[in-house]
Amino acid sequence: MAAGPYNYSYIFKYIIIGDMGVGKSCLLHQFTEKKFMADCPHTIGVEFGTRIIEVASQKIKLQIWDTAGQERFRAVTRSYYRGAAGALMVYDITRRSTYNHLSSWLTDARNLTNPNTVIFLIGNKCDLDAQRDVTYEEAKQFAEENGLMFLECSAKTGENVEDAFLDTAKKIYQNIQDGSLDLNAAESGVQHKPATPRNPINTDQPPNKEGCAC
Amino acid sequence: MANKDEKDNNAQTAANPLSRKLNKILETRLDNDKEMLEALKALSIFFTENNLRSRRNLRSDIEKRSLAINEEFLSAFQAVKEQLDSVYSDVQAMNECCQDMTNRLKAAKAKTHHLISQTTSLHNESQKLQLREQVANAFLEKFQLKPDEIKILRGTRDGGLHADFFKALAKVKQIHSDCKFLLRTNHQTAGLEIMESMALHQESAYERLYRWTQNQCRQVTQDTPDVSYLLCQAVEALQDRPVLLKYSLDEFGKARRSAVVRGFIDALTRGGPGGTPRPIELHSHDPLRYVGDMLAWLHQSSASEKEYLQSLVKNCSANVIQLEEILGNITEGVCTPFKVRVEQVLVSEQDPVILYKLDNLLKFYHHTITQIISSEAALLTTVAEIQDLSHRMFFNSLTSHANRLLDKVELPPPDLGATSSLTQTLQLLRDVLACHDASVVRIDDKKQDYKQILACVIDPLLQMCSVSASRLNAVDMAAYMVNSIHLMNTTLSLYEFTDARLEMLNAQTEAHLDTLVSEQASYILNRVGLAQMYGSIQQHRPEHGPLSSISGLDEIAIKSAMNKFDSYLAQPDSLTLPQCSLILSSTVRASAKKRSVELVCQAYKQIYNAIIDPKNNYRDGQNIVPRTPEQVVHLLM
Ligand SMILES: Nc1nc2c(ncn2[C@@H]2O[C@H](COP(=O)(O)OP(=O)(O)O)[C@@H](O)[C@H]2O)c(=O)[nH]1
Ligand SMILES: [Mg+2]
Repeated sequence: MAAGPYNYSYIFKYIIIGDMGVGKSCLLHQFTEKKFMADCPHTIGVEFGTRIIEVASQKIKLQIWDTAGQERFRAVTRSYYRGAAGALMVYDITRRSTYNHLSSWLTDARNLTNPNTVIFLIGNKCDLDAQRDVTYEEAKQFAEENGLMFLECSAKTGENVEDAFLDTAKKIYQNIQDGSLDLNAAESGVQHKPATPRNPINTDQPPNKEGCAC
Repeated sequence: MANKDEKDNNAQTAANPLSRKLNKILETRLDNDKEMLEALKALSIFFTENNLRSRRNLRSDIEKRSLAINEEFLSAFQAVKEQLDSVYSDVQAMNECCQDMTNRLKAAKAKTHHLISQTTSLHNESQKLQLREQVANAFLEKFQLKPDEIKILRGTRDGGLHADFFKALAKVKQIHSDCKFLLRTNHQTAGLEIMESMALHQESAYERLYRWTQNQCRQVTQDTPDVSYLLCQAVEALQDRPVLLKYSLDEFGKARRSAVVRGFIDALTRGGPGGTPRPIELHSHDPLRYVGDMLAWLHQSSASEKEYLQSLVKNCSANVIQLEEILGNITEGVCTPFKVRVEQVLVSEQDPVILYKLDNLLKFYHHTITQIISSEAALLTTVAEIQDLSHRMFFNSLTSHANRLLDKVELPPPDLGATSSLTQTLQLLRDVLACHDASVVRIDDKKQDYKQILACVIDPLLQMCSVSASRLNAVDMAAYMVNSIHLMNTTLSLYEFTDARLEMLNAQTEAHLDTLVSEQASYILNRVGLAQMYGSIQQHRPEHGPLSSISGLDEIAIKSAMNKFDSYLAQPDSLTLPQCSLILSSTVRASAKKRSVELVCQAYKQIYNAIIDPKNNYRDGQNIVPRTPEQVVHLLM
């Protein structure tokens, strides 16, 4: 509270997508609670979490929408792409099928978000290297071909989880700085809170202006 | 003795000056008289010449000389005297001065004495006063506001709020409550007065704070409101004035409410930057997407608004704030624009599948949004209302579909299979029931819905089938009904909560199957010529005499029938009714076959038992019916 009038100066909206069971909810939980939730219940529809981070000494509040990966929820979750500044697209490195579905997730993401939405590819469960079914190089190449940022993470050990969320925010912030993201437009997925309050606190009023207090 | 003489002499000499003189000279002891010696010595050098003149003049010379000395002496002392005189006059003057000073000092002393005593008493008094001042200052410190603080509480002309306002306000409160101590002492008047003045300060401060807060709250109309630290403090402080707090929060709610409406309309009509994401209304031709996008927007917006509100009242104790109510107000504004649009979609939609999907979608979001705002909130009652409407629209459309089935009943096809309206309706039913897989509604709801849907579709379907079968003969009708019901059955068996319906359908199948089975069995018995005999044997009573004597039951007739029966045994399928072959379900077909064969076997067994019964007087009955019932069962089953 003592930090100033605002807790944060931006809100970034994220969406996490990918097949069921790739660890989307666990990633969110790891990021917001710094804990691994081994018996995470199935996501019903859409859930959300928040956390305040700092990028370039700006406080940014991330509002993260976690979607259900099942096909039957696809129609529902599609509605949550609008207005996302960042999309984390997750697959499970131990299940090739989840990797193979990426192009369909990517199509959704491209069609339903705005052109400036930062899409970050996450290969989750990298702690299970022995059961690996998708190589790092292959996914890296896919990411490069599609202009995605990419990291392999583990929601279990927490490896790289922080980086994935923060790098996405940094990229969004960079887009704001170089002007490619228009903050005034509705549903850019970013909301800005002015650094100085519009109604400044009257701390140093010149005395002559003051009404007579005698 | 001498002294006595001298006394006598002296008395004589006094009478004679000369003798006295002489005596005196004689009595002089020169060697002891230093003075005399000195004088003589001086005298000895007195003359330079011892002559008569000198001797004569001695006296005058000495006198002269003495005179001169005295004159000299005199003049010397004259100067001394003059100097002494001047010293004297100086001393005199000093004395006078001293005297004067002494007098003056005396006078001053006399005067000062009063002053000093006055000073001392004043000094004492001043010390006392200082002490009292300290006490008074301490009192004022504790029981009065500083001018600065008063100024802060008064605020500025433009209504701004100083950052230290809350400190000052807390002090006013503290003083006010401290006055209770005063009231318990003998400073009651002061206590009351201070209390009163603090109450006034407090009132005006709260009023100012309220006006400021209200003004601030009125301005939080941006997409993302600025909930400043100062505003949070203001809201916290207003907890002491619940009414003012309520008004302020109402104002906040109003501002947010219009912000939410504006955001919703923007999302509907303007979309994102450069048109991506596209405006929601662009998808109005796709009802599910259109309504789904609106609901998702409302869901996200409700979540955000709740966060803003929570950050505003984060310092308040939970019981003071009617969070749910305020959130309800904030999200109330979008109800109408939302409702109007969804209603438009619903009333122009004919397809029951889409209607049902919309119904489920609305249910899903009702459930989802309930996790954020109270189900009593206008938004949720609106969603519930619209969901109710969609539910009714769905069943209306389903019912009207079912009614159309009965309006124009098709004739059964020659293969006694499904009519196209049955196939279509079952496909519709499948589509409708499948909707549930694509959404999350409570199991109870699902169960209730299924019951209602089945009632709405299956009953008219059965009715339609009966009507369409009404002109068929019994066997055709039974086969047709068995087939139609079978198709319903296979459709329903894929879904949950259809058990009761399936049971009902199975019972109906059984009834039709009974007809079919008995028709098949009697057809077989007729064709092998056993039907007549079987009838006669069943009607036969012992008093009629032995069977062999009854016409049509003679040995020859029986033997010829048994021959035919044998060829049936060799080729049992040859006597299968065409209707039985038309049964679609292989299990039902098999069961029909099995049960009709059982009937045939039973009939044979009765005939066999009758013929080998000696009472019936057949010669060599064993020869007439060579096959035992067991053999027949074995061959047929
Ligand atoms: N070993 C391992 N298991 C994980 C990891 N992340 C998630 N899981 C497990 O994967 C399963 C599915 O996770 P969940 O977050 O529910 O997946 P979601 O359907 O994408 O939300 C759960 O049983 C988790 O315990 C990970 O990084 N490592
Ligand atoms: Mg999940």
